[in-house]
Amino acid sequence: MPRRNLLSIADLTNDEIEEIFELADTAEKLRADKPAGGRIMATLFYEPSTRTRLSFESAMHRLGGSVISCSDMKSSSTAKGETVADTAKVVSSYADVLVVRHYWDGAVRAMAEHAGVPVINAGDGGHEHPSQTLCDLYTLKKEKGRLKGLTVVICGDLKHGRTIHSLVFALARFGASVVTLAANGMELPQYVLERLEREYDYSLAPVATGDLNAVVTETDALYLTPKQPHQLALFTQLDPGLQTRLNTMVSGLRYDAFYMTRKQKERMKEGTTGSSYPTIGSEFLREQRFKNTVVMHPLPRVDELSPEVDQDRRGIYFKQAAYGVPVRMALLKFLFAQNEAKKASAKKAATWFESPETLGPQCANPNCITVTEPASARRKFDFLPGGPGGALILRCLYCDHRIKVQLVGHVKSKRYCAYDIALSDTIKNWFTNKELVIFDSIKAAEEIGYEPYKSGPQRNIMDQTAIENAVRDIARQILGDCEDPDRLLVLGIRSKGSYLAQRIAAELAAAQKRKIEIGEIEIYGAGDEIRRPSPADPEAGPLNLKDREIVLVDDVIYTGRTVKNALDIIFRSARPKSVRLAVLIDRGHREVPVKPNYVGKHIPSSERERVRVKLREAEHDEKDKVVIYSIISPVEQQAGGLG
Amino acid sequence: MAQEKQILFERDELVRTVNRMAHEIIEQTASPSELVLIGIRSRGVHLARRLARKVEEVTKTAPPVGVIDVTPYRDDRAREQDRRAVGAFEIPVDVDEKTVVLIDDVIFRGRTIRAAMEAVARLGQAKRILVAALVDRGARELPIRADIVGKNIDAGAGRRVNVMLEESDGVDQITVSDW
Repeated sequence: MPRRNLLSIADLTNDEIEEIFELADTAEKLRADKPAGGRIMATLFYEPSTRTRLSFESAMHRLGGSVISCSDMKSSSTAKGETVADTAKVVSSYADVLVVRHYWDGAVRAMAEHAGVPVINAGDGGHEHPSQTLCDLYTLKKEKGRLKGLTVVICGDLKHGRTIHSLVFALARFGASVVTLAANGMELPQYVLERLEREYDYSLAPVATGDLNAVVTETDALYLTPKQPHQLALFTQLDPGLQTRLNTMVSGLRYDAFYMTRKQKERMKEGTTGSSYPTIGSEFLREQRFKNTVVMHPLPRVDELSPEVDQDRRGIYFKQAAYGVPVRMALLKFLFAQNEAKKASAKKAATWFESPETLGPQCANPNCITVTEPASARRKFDFLPGGPGGALILRCLYCDHRIKVQLVGHVKSKRYCAYDIALSDTIKNWFTNKELVIFDSIKAAEEIGYEPYKSGPQRNIMDQTAIENAVRDIARQILGDCEDPDRLLVLGIRSKGSYLAQRIAAELAAAQKRKIEIGEIEIYGAGDEIRRPSPADPEAGPLNLKDREIVLVDDVIYTGRTVKNALDIIFRSARPKSVRLAVLIDRGHREVPVKPNYVGKHIPSSERERVRVKLREAEHDEKDKVVIYSIISPVEQQAGGLG
Repeated sequence: MAQEKQILFERDELVRTVNRMAHEIIEQTASPSELVLIGIRSRGVHLARRLARKVEEVTKTAPPVGVIDVTPYRDDRAREQDRRAVGAFEIPVDVDEKTVVLIDDVIFRGRTIRAAMEAVARLGQAKRILVAALVDRGARELPIRADIVGKNIDAGAGRRVNVMLEESDGVDQITVSDW
């Protein structure tokens, strides 16, 4: 029986949200009935919080329950390296509900998967904060009597906070119109707009904000409206004539609420005092057309709201904060009742992509739980074909970060190819049959034995002697640059880079008449451990990277993304004195600013070509050589040739 | 002995160099609409804004300018806990499918750029990341390159390269001095 959690505002249907609001209206009765008598709520806050934590704890006490908490997660067993998964398992035996805030995106979802009791997300990294969204909606409903058809202006930093994104989606679900007034450079991200259009059938119209001059300067507003009978929905393109008409319409609009967000003043140092940050002050209050417009703010505020607004009946942000307790009482009561009645979520479980190979593509968000602590969360993604330009998009189930798929493979035939829109039907079939594999890079594909779908004739570009000479030459250059051979550490990227690292280290050892320490980094292979460099010899003690002169070794450098990943992994574990990069082949086409220090051979190649290094240490390679061949896309081989 | 402070660039030369860098940025980007500039605190931000203005002048498309403070990501500054801090971006920008140019006044050991690349990944999936620096001091400690360089200055480890910009220092000038 699936347990009911609140991890995202999307976990609740509109009816359920209304049900929670009705419960919140009866907070006084709940307080008398004490429905949570005998129950314990555990609050685990890995990041500081005042309002959220206190209002949750107050809500639980008022429901007659009790609260246990760890005041400083840093001093708990987390400091000893306990995973969030283990913490969740342990603490769920002490409590009936967990309320968690964590600095990693998706960490709370990972904990919910391992907990035996319901889990409420009180903020996970920069991801979601659903109970805040509930409070915002409840405040609007209380003040305006409804949500449908309201026009809400959201102002300020709309890019940073995903809580703002949750609010926008929630407003969309209830059929409210949204006007965004972003501070310069802090507009709603593209994906939020795309999702509003695609999933909520919203239409977007940019509006010049000249008529809101008292409120904002410079920036344009964006008017988001449900695709219902509404004039503005007709316009998507802007020409000057239309713009004037839109302005007239917008200035004729009734605004129900302004939702301000905080100006992140602590981060705005000299030079960027945020001159274009929208503020609400006396001009706003004097404007006739705002006479029934309430002003909300999640607090704490900086100076985007002038104190005059506090005195005005329209400034309802302190009320909004006070609603935090009844809404959270209602939420707790709702979750207890749902779990008691063993009601499954009314939402149907989504089908997600999980690689049939041991390790799927990596979420591109370095703060995602699947990256920071893979032992707690296995990589899973929403499968979204039909992205912009026919792209195939994966959305991380934990942090909602999206990645665009470049390389796909077929698990049975062990073949890979570049994703192409012409393949989309084939790919959908593979996905349905659980035969689809997705790779971060060609290296990732070949690392687990995948071959390109079809390739042209091979051409040899290096033979054994050439490879041996190149390795010797690289070793000589390394010694020339090395400041202290005792600090040298040769680190190979698995698996071809590791073999080359061994060879280079052997040359270095022979020249220096001393042992050279060798390690390896696994970027794409199997295994759930946190990625960190390990000794090449499993018998050897753990690697110490601090203050070392690291020589990172790989066989081929292409886009540079593999090396960038390797650098991230190195720097996550320690701070080396230096990292130099040695590669056998540099084939150009860099996508990140990575540059090798030592190159065996430069090979100009086209993006349709593949350079492959074969080394006799590898299982399938008989002898040393480097070959180049072109990859023939399955699309070119006529439709239907795949699968 | 060498004088204490040596002026390498006066205003005119600095302005010309920034303009040339803007042209190189345009040249290396497939379409101006996919260009995003990210200035690294603090002088990188001023440079980014200047480059953006020049790019707009030439292409009639104003690239978005993001602002990043990599201090929380710098491996040599912060403890592990702090490095995870959210919000290294003071002004975030949409980077999905974009050509992102990281802009700093001086590139030296490469650690700042590495940290900035890690922060960019948190915003989304950039199509390409380039580095533009007014001064490249060489002497890299990491395998990181600058794609667009105003001037290469091999000042030696014991000396200091000072980039001064009107926005923050009241004068456009590059000097080399002893510590």
